[in-house]
Amino acid sequence: MSSGEEVAAFRQVSKSYGRVKAVSGLDLVLRPGETVALLGPNGAGKSSSLDLLLGLREPDQGSVTLFGGAPRAAIEAGRVGAMLQSGGLMTDVKVRELVQLACDVHPRGHRLADVLRDAGIEEIADRRVDKLSGGQEQRVRFALAVAGANDLIVLDEPTTGMDVSVRRQFWATMRAQADAGRTVLFATHYLEEADSVADRVLVLHRGRLIADGSSAEIKAKAGARRISFELHSSDGPFEEAMLRALPGLVSLEVGGHAAGVRSVRIRSTDADADVAGLYKAGLYPRGLEVGSLGLEQAFLTITGEQDAEDGVLETEESAR
Amino acid sequence: MITLIRLEILRSLRNRRYLFFTILYPALMYFFFVSVYKGGSVAGGVSAKSYFMVSMATFGAVGAVLTGSAQRISLERKSGWVRQLRLTALPGRAYTLAKIASCAATTLPAIVVVFALGAVEGVRLGAGQWLGLVAVLWLGSFVFAALGVALGYAAEPSAVQPIVMIVYMLMAAFGGTWYPISGSMRNFARFNPVYLYNQLAGFIHPGNTLDAAAAAGLAGFLLVFVAAAAFLYRRDTKQA
Repeated sequence: MSSGEEVAAFRQVSKSYGRVKAVSGLDLVLRPGETVALLGPNGAGKSSSLDLLLGLREPDQGSVTLFGGAPRAAIEAGRVGAMLQSGGLMTDVKVRELVQLACDVHPRGHRLADVLRDAGIEEIADRRVDKLSGGQEQRVRFALAVAGANDLIVLDEPTTGMDVSVRRQFWATMRAQADAGRTVLFATHYLEEADSVADRVLVLHRGRLIADGSSAEIKAKAGARRISFELHSSDGPFEEAMLRALPGLVSLEVGGHAAGVRSVRIRSTDADADVAGLYKAGLYPRGLEVGSLGLEQAFLTITGEQDAEDGVLETEESAR
Repeated sequence: MITLIRLEILRSLRNRRYLFFTILYPALMYFFFVSVYKGGSVAGGVSAKSYFMVSMATFGAVGAVLTGSAQRISLERKSGWVRQLRLTALPGRAYTLAKIASCAATTLPAIVVVFALGAVEGVRLGAGQWLGLVAVLWLGSFVFAALGVALGYAAEPSAVQPIVMIVYMLMAAFGGTWYPISGSMRNFARFNPVYLYNQLAGFIHPGNTLDAAAAAGLAGFLLVFVAAAAFLYRRDTKQA
């Protein structure tokens, strides 16, 4: 594998702030043309990882490279555009002047008019930067990130403060960037954004990468599918043990004793075999539904499992 | 880089508060002092009109560079604009250089406006002396620009604002800005950069040449402030 194929690489990267381990043993390679979503609860290390990637901070251990070299070199070469959550804007200037600055300092800067149009800020171009709403500020930050011909675009929670229609427009713009062959890495709180935009999803939790795959793979990892049905006592006898014996079971809930009707919810990694198993066991599931988990539920499941594992480890450690 | 410097200058000139404190305020203070002394002379026989013309020019210039650099840098570190700029192809020092350049550009009006008022009030100097005075005071303001950069990287905006005001007012009070320094106070004033800055203008009086000791003292302060600014800047870069 030549380094020319790597857009970004983390190799065994760790970073602590005081006693808090923000990033722990992160190993990760981004490839050209990928659109990658970075998910994780607050404090999971998303922003820290992006800071390391952009060379704003130095790792305690391991190495971070962009296009095979130091992050700073890639930024100076104009290969990276970034929009940070904490990225402030210059005050006392007009939007047009600020974006012009970004175009001018980029080694392969775009034309001002094109950037204003792409970011959807033509109508606010003559406003003062300090007089913008939160969503407008976000779009100006985005304009700064795409003011030149970058190969990688890094966005930290880009749609925070945008309303729904602006958000949709924003992602349309972002997809156009990805279609033009750029690599896009974005951190987000909105799981539906990751689900609909990203072709690769990374889940960070407590500074560790706990899942890396397509949205479908992440869902599969969490116990991908959901089966629900009702069992009526008029259709025959039933014992919970029959359900427990089904393959690939992640969770099982049986409720609703009223009038001889029991509602059953199953989460399973092998829904197909489970449905076949129900009939083999002589059961007659009514109102049978088989659906996929949302990414959000998958995310909660994965991070919850991790918490449970960590909890075990922590009690073991404190017992010593 | 040139775009950045141009924009920094433009935004300083657009900021009304900044213009008030650096140009209007010293100009008003100048009229105030001239009317208090009623065209007489201050201790040492120098006319009040020319004494306060220099001291209000330095007052405005120091104020311009301290607020223009220290407060701006501190605020922009907090807001994240400094981080955002570090994600551009601009070299890291460009930001600081642009700040100093815009300070230098905005001290000129602060100096020139007070001088113009002085001329209107009847201060008479040769053309060479006028130009020399502008040049000396302008160059001297870089010492305070370096101090401003150091302060801007030293602390948070909420702390920098009072620090700047206290440093500025103490240096002015004991530096001959509002009244001439005489007697034993001079022993302390020699370690005050504002006093040295005011002394630089002494060459306009008959029989005086440029105060070499004051110039050397200011050069020393410049070195100290630049070293402090460079140290604090590097520390900040590692943290951000």
